[in-house]
Amino acid sequence: MSLSTSIRERLFPGTNVARSAQAPAAGPAILLVGNPNVGKSALFNRLTGQYVTVSNYPGTTVEISRGRCSALGADVEIIDTPGMYSLLPITDEERVASDMLSGADVRCVVHVLDAKNLDRMLGFTLQLIETGLPVLVALNMADEARDLGIKIDVARLAAILGVPVIPTVSISGEGVADLVAAIKKTPPPSPFRVEYGNLIEEGIAGIAGRLSAGTVAARARASLLLQGDSRERERVLQEKGDLETARILQIVAATRTRLNHSPHYYVTLALRARVDQIVAECVRAPQRAPNRFRAALDRLCTHPLTGYPIVVLVLYFALYKFVGGFGAGTLVNFLEESVFKHTLIPWAVRGVAAVVPWAPLRSLLAGEYGIITLGLRYAVAIVLPIVGTFFLAFAVLEDTGYLPRLALLVDRGFKKIGLNGRAVIPIVLGFGCDTMATLVTRTLETRRERLICTILLALAIPCSAQLGVILGLLSGSGAALAVWAGVVLAIMLLTGFLSAKLLPGEQPMFYMELPPLRLPVLGNVLIKTYSRMVWYFREILPLFILASVLIWIGQITSIFQLLIRCTEPLVRGLGLPDQAAVAFLFGFFRRDYGAAGLYDLHKAGGLTVHQLTVAAITLTLFLPCIAQFLVMQKERGTRVALWIAAGVFVTAFAVGWLTHRALLLLPWVLG
Amino acid sequence: MNARMTCPFCRREFDAAQARDACKGCRSGGGCQNVKCPYCGYETPREPRWIGWLRRRLGK
Repeated sequence: MSLSTSIRERLFPGTNVARSAQAPAAGPAILLVGNPNVGKSALFNRLTGQYVTVSNYPGTTVEISRGRCSALGADVEIIDTPGMYSLLPITDEERVASDMLSGADVRCVVHVLDAKNLDRMLGFTLQLIETGLPVLVALNMADEARDLGIKIDVARLAAILGVPVIPTVSISGEGVADLVAAIKKTPPPSPFRVEYGNLIEEGIAGIAGRLSAGTVAARARASLLLQGDSRERERVLQEKGDLETARILQIVAATRTRLNHSPHYYVTLALRARVDQIVAECVRAPQRAPNRFRAALDRLCTHPLTGYPIVVLVLYFALYKFVGGFGAGTLVNFLEESVFKHTLIPWAVRGVAAVVPWAPLRSLLAGEYGIITLGLRYAVAIVLPIVGTFFLAFAVLEDTGYLPRLALLVDRGFKKIGLNGRAVIPIVLGFGCDTMATLVTRTLETRRERLICTILLALAIPCSAQLGVILGLLSGSGAALAVWAGVVLAIMLLTGFLSAKLLPGEQPMFYMELPPLRLPVLGNVLIKTYSRMVWYFREILPLFILASVLIWIGQITSIFQLLIRCTEPLVRGLGLPDQAAVAFLFGFFRRDYGAAGLYDLHKAGGLTVHQLTVAAITLTLFLPCIAQFLVMQKERGTRVALWIAAGVFVTAFAVGWLTHRALLLLPWVLG
Repeated sequence: MNARMTCPFCRREFDAAQARDACKGCRSGGGCQNVKCPYCGYETPREPRWIGWLRRRLGK
């Protein structure tokens, strides 16, 4: 034994590692697979030593580490595959890991699990076992599980799964010698199978009968094909040719049509149910107070009876008090009055007057609608503090893991408006920016959902800047705020309900694994808030400056005055003063810009509570901005985008007018 | 070494550089400065570079 090997043997007993930087051996490989952050790479280093080959997987930028462990034979290669969550690949890294499982000369697969989170990881173990490859399970971080009082009946787990299960601690080397010994024996493939239900099983049997047995069992390949794995489809095409692949895909299509939901949904449910059974049989975790508290909070957040009141509380404290009260009230007042109106703007007006001799240019920079006096003031003094507080509140919610629970909670209600819980992602992002959220609608499964969600974003989801200004404006009157919220919510639900009735199409299911609730981490919250504020500011500042330039051009050519005169009849119809036409004209450009205009008018004492309510409702229902229209046009086509835009403007003014008339008839509503 | 990030919505981990694949076909052409989670589609703004630099300096 060489000196270095001897030292290594002392440091890491039982591994007897060969230290070599030679090219990888062309023998059967041992694949280490598992989720990210389970100590897989640490185990790989423990097995192979520090001399490993790191290279990109052919044709990709995904890095693969290879090494050898002399205890297993010089020709045996150990490969640290990229982290993956399931056999159904989504990312490039998972596709590479999937390719390695399917294509490599595999001696055995070591599935590295986090022993503390067996319930979240065993599903993947079951999928690996179904591949028919020899599988070993390394229950890594076993020490941390022990410290938490988690007791795992390893023998029972091994008996159920039909594969060797070895507790390991990759950092200290505990159990690694046992793992090496188990690998040496190379276990036979396990007979364990999960039952997916008659229709899926029939489909799997039909497809598997046409597939040849390769590295991966035909049953597992058939299951992947049924679940829509494009990588597996490519493999079958290469192996079987066009004609036979078409026949196989016919069986896939026929099976899918017999099911109410996607095969992936049924497979996931069956795996989940089997994992729950196994965990109930093999794992004993202490009932700790914090876990019980978290579990109770989890139930409260997702149960309709308690979940919706929690949503109301979140909206009240996070949006109304913090964004509307503190952001749009205290911060905006300070920046608007003290910083801009009394300091920066007088200074800028004097400076520009002294330096710029040409009057129109002075007007562009520091006139009534100038870049500094309007564009910069709106962006920095009004919009920035509001989006800042909104993004801070949003980051706290995001970091706690509340958003997936919100998705689960609203799933049933959203189905009534043609959507499902997944639509929470674009809707919630819409409060940040509707344009970006419209792009995110493509993550929804069906064209119908994408269209309904686009309509709702265009009509009834105010962005944070607009929402903050409106909350700030209406915060003086609880009744006005209630009328605004009630009307906008009613329009959203009615539009969604009618769209769902009028647009034909299937209703996809929504399911997701809920990440655990946790206390927000201050660093995460601050970084996310800062990143979002930078992004938003970069997005709006050029547009606000552009608006000032357009208004300036409009003033020089008298088009602006003409547009105001054209808008005035509409504004009068809503019972608003003529000066509100300017804010509405701004609103055509950007909703938040219009809301800021409304803020100016209100500060000048130009609006009653009645007028403020009507103006806020009408402006909320406006199309968010020109950018949103362009994105709608690209995503949904010109014809659909024009229809949506026309429908939104007509609805906005019609609802504004109806609210105006209703409030005239029922003046007591606003007190 | 590629930067890894955890999706704030589904908490799955992915390679931020490769997450561009999730944006394939998007007409914004990557100009939005957001990172899209390949698993759930949730979008998060990219961290400014100086935060990455600070992280490395602090060894976190």
